[in-house]
Amino acid sequence: MLTAIFHKKRKAAEAAAKAIEAAGGSIEQTRRVYGTRLLVRGALWASVYLLSRGLLELNTLPPAARVVIALLPAPFFVYYLWTWMKGVGEMDELERRIELEALGFAFPAFIVFLMTLGLLDLAITLSPDDFSLHHIWAMMPLFYFAGLWRAKKRYQ
Amino acid sequence: MKNRLKVLRAERDWSQEELAKQLGVSRQTINAIETEKYDPSLPLALKMGRLFELCVEKIFELDEKKPN
Repeated sequence: MLTAIFHKKRKAAEAAAKAIEAAGGSIEQTRRVYGTRLLVRGALWASVYLLSRGLLELNTLPPAARVVIALLPAPFFVYYLWTWMKGVGEMDELERRIELEALGFAFPAFIVFLMTLGLLDLAITLSPDDFSLHHIWAMMPLFYFAGLWRAKKRYQ
Repeated sequence: MKNRLKVLRAERDWSQEELAKQLGVSRQTINAIETEKYDPSLPLALKMGRLFELCVEKIFELDEKKPN
């Protein structure tokens, strides 16, 4: 009887070990590849954005060229977003929920932020050097990261 | 939802990492389920049932005190 139980347990342990070996740490590997891709594509987009912004601030190019330069970072950002979305598809269910909660926090929080800025602008006229469109969009990722931190903390 | 995941895992002498690999999820997910901060989806709960050779009700139990 005891031998049979022992044998059954050993078989179960062997099967589990095989399953772990078959998985071969694929989740970690996928995550590492995704992280690297996100970093490289993000750096690529940020470089193109900074280059475009630098060229536009020089104010020496003709309007047509300025429009082309202004549109240049968009495809790189779309490429970066596509990588991110693909990565979300490869996440497990809890990680996806964390992403959803992060976005669920960032979107309404950003609306509150924009609404308040709009009203403040009516009240005291905010300086365009600090609160123009090319400054404000960069705040949105901050709201996303705040949401991500909040959601991760919740499930830790 | 209450669950016996930690006990079942300990009985088999598996780490959270090993269980996570077998279920195809992250270690963080296993930890969140064990600490009852996260309720798994039905497919994941069924996968657990299959892995532990138990029906889902033997692993998970509704916590009547907690509202959904």
